Amino acid sequence: MSDQLKALVSRPVFVFLTDGRSLVGNFEGYDQQANVILSQTHERIFSSTEPMQSVPIGVYLIRGETIAIIGELDEELDEAADYDNMRVEPLDPIHL
Amino acid sequence: MLVELKNGETFNGHLVNCDNWMNLTLREVIQTSSDGDRFWRLTECYIRGNTIKYLRVPDEIIDMVKEDAAKQRAAGGRNSNRGGAGGNTGGDQRGGHYSQQGGDRGGRGGGRGGRGDYNKSGRGGYNGGDRGGRGGGMRGGRGRGSSQA
Repeated sequence: MSDQLKALVSRPVFVFLTDGRSLVGNFEGYDQQANVILSQTHERIFSSTEPMQSVPIGVYLIRGETIAIIGELDEELDEAADYDNMRVEPLDPIHL
Repeated sequence: MLVELKNGETFNGHLVNCDNWMNLTLREVIQTSSDGDRFWRLTECYIRGNTIKYLRVPDEIIDMVKEDAAKQRAAGGRNSNRGGAGGNTGGDQRGGHYSQQGGDRGGRGGGRGGRGDYNKSGRGGYNGGDRGGRGGGMRGGRGRGSSQA
């Protein structure tokens, strides 16, 4: 499972955590348990009433268990997205 | 560094030790309740790895780890770094399984470097060098067998 992460190394990725948070950052590394290191991480905070906020939070080491989804970020698509005018409900946490 | 637990509580303190299970010991800790409105000061605390959601570490750590990895490679990879250099996270880690740029084989060397030496050089594990903990936490397979080899 974690060897599929190899392809992501040093690429921009998004991560959704099981608590509903979404992060975007540079994928720096991982291990067998899919613990993941991101640099230049931003947390994207969505709200149904306000524009998306992107908060810089630096280097993150995320425990594999708490990762719900991880994938490569298509920067072109991402830049094309009009986050300022989007109003999006934040994700609910997942209770496994 | 900052540690957030799965229950949302956070612990902000200096890493003094960690192990392969990500169990941590922190000193001079500020604990924050999950709602963020209560705080406690603790001189020391131990956190069981499996309760952790994520760690937030200082930006410089990434560069330090990369430098160390580069040094390790330069020193010839596998059995090179006995003693001081002690692996990119300070002593205990076998095999640099945190692949940087995909190419880092890690190698078995791992480094015996006692924590003491290591600290003097100002490099620690993820803790910004103040204490030179034991390595980044994670498991660190066996060098070659690890996922990016």
